[in-house]
Amino acid sequence: MLPADTDSSRWLDVEFPRDSPVLAVSFSLAPSTSRVRGASIALDLHASLVLRNTSTRPLAGLTLRVDAQDLLPAGKGSFMVPSLDVQPGEVFPVRLDLQLTRPFNAAKTEGAMVQVSLDCAVFNDLSSYGPDRLKSRRTLLVYELEARRDRRYMADLLKNQQYDQLRQELNFGLQDVRPQQLGFEITRDLRPTGRQLPITVNTMAFPSAPVQAIGGEAQISGNELHTPRIELRNMSRKPVRSVDMGWIVRDERGRDFMAGSLPAALPLAPVQTAMASESGTLRFSNAQGQPVAIGALMAFVSNVEFLDGNLWIPTRADIEEATSDPVLRKALSTSPEHERLAEVFRRKGIRGLAEELKRAN
Amino acid sequence: MNATVAAKHPTHRSLALYLGRDVSWLARTRIRAHLRGCPRCQQYVASLEEALGELRREADAQTLTGFEAIADWSRMEREMMGNIAVGVAAARCVDHVGRGRKVLNWTLAIAGLILLFAAGWVTHIPREQTQHIFAAVQQWSGRAPQFSGTVLRSSPDGVAVRAQGSTLTLMHPRSAVISVSSTSGMEARYVDSETGQVTIASVYAQ
Repeated sequence: MLPADTDSSRWLDVEFPRDSPVLAVSFSLAPSTSRVRGASIALDLHASLVLRNTSTRPLAGLTLRVDAQDLLPAGKGSFMVPSLDVQPGEVFPVRLDLQLTRPFNAAKTEGAMVQVSLDCAVFNDLSSYGPDRLKSRRTLLVYELEARRDRRYMADLLKNQQYDQLRQELNFGLQDVRPQQLGFEITRDLRPTGRQLPITVNTMAFPSAPVQAIGGEAQISGNELHTPRIELRNMSRKPVRSVDMGWIVRDERGRDFMAGSLPAALPLAPVQTAMASESGTLRFSNAQGQPVAIGALMAFVSNVEFLDGNLWIPTRADIEEATSDPVLRKALSTSPEHERLAEVFRRKGIRGLAEELKRAN
Repeated sequence: MNATVAAKHPTHRSLALYLGRDVSWLARTRIRAHLRGCPRCQQYVASLEEALGELRREADAQTLTGFEAIADWSRMEREMMGNIAVGVAAARCVDHVGRGRKVLNWTLAIAGLILLFAAGWVTHIPREQTQHIFAAVQQWSGRAPQFSGTVLRSSPDGVAVRAQGSTLTLMHPRSAVISVSSTSGMEARYVDSETGQVTIASVYAQ
């Protein structure tokens, strides 16, 4: 256990197993403040961690689990850092910015109020370490595969001197400070606030996807989405363990938003069809918190995990063929590594990007 | 009757006073001497005595004599206690009417204050704080907090999970891309300006 170097160690502690391939070299709490908010106290915690890759393999990404004792077991958090390329023995920083709001008279906790621990670490050879209680291993592996895909794609553009296409791909080095996006609220409360209407879920397919979404339906009530159901068919000859569904929401003004993904642990034998469904209520709003009425829904299979552990992700060609809408295409192709490389391009230009791609590959 | 004889007769008023022993000793001696030799005055005094006796008998029939009243203490006590009891009961009755009005006024005033407080609470105190207080009350009362529902919510500055009266918010810059990662997970993806690394802050409900 590595407590912070001040008395505020009772606020936040970091703990890694002794055999962890990643260990904390230093941990410091930046000026963390507490302030009164109504009948509660809000603790602003800003921690800086320096971790070392103590394994013999390059580290590709990791997930740190964040447990606040006041919220256990109902709620928890995590910080995931994908697209890493940390060689054995190298150190790298991780920043944790969080806020804990708790009632004044909340029961005193033994130990720190917030515990940070390692959930999963993934290496360049796609091996992994960690308890994976948050099931982050699969996500880290998908991100690593997407990172390889995007690096290869951009390296090809560079190699072929397709600079205009590369600049367009990286948003011309402009930072999208306020991207058009949705706000969300997720609750297990299944009671609709208004009259529920059935809606047909449209489907989109990547040509090489081993599992296709055939059709689906959901119940909507204003800005609420209830119990979406999607029929899936395994088009491959390999048994499938789980499927990740991407969701696009179209508002009443016809604007498309990438809402996210819903994983489904759905064993599918070859050519088998099954229904994936999710419970709970999802409410959509704009960035200001105003409700966004749902006009239409679209679902697609974004990645597939086979029973043998291999993963399928869409290729760049799949994304190009899936839609002609440039906004939607950009949303589909944006991976964590894509965002990181766009930031490198914004800061260092083509030359810096080329060096980064050479180093990573 | 001549004037000399008439002057010797005492007046009717003097005779009435004599009968009531309300004249002086000298006048009484003189009247007594006159009565011995005057049948007419004797007759008048006799008629007065008879009338006075009649009045006394009627009075005795209607009321207790002073002695009798003094002698019947228990009866007088009962009458007095009865009168006191009636007075007290009447006072209580009147007092109850006044207290009822007071209670009504206080009730209305307190109800108004409660309504004002509730309206102020609803309009000024966030729902989150209310839940915190309910959770605290439950802890005070020794009851385990009710898992009324874990809620995940995004805001321009963070993704938050609220459960059991407390909230954990993972902060992110405003340029972060927010998405749902399941019906029990939400994430914010951003490039850390200091480290240059992509960071994905996620909250989960279970």
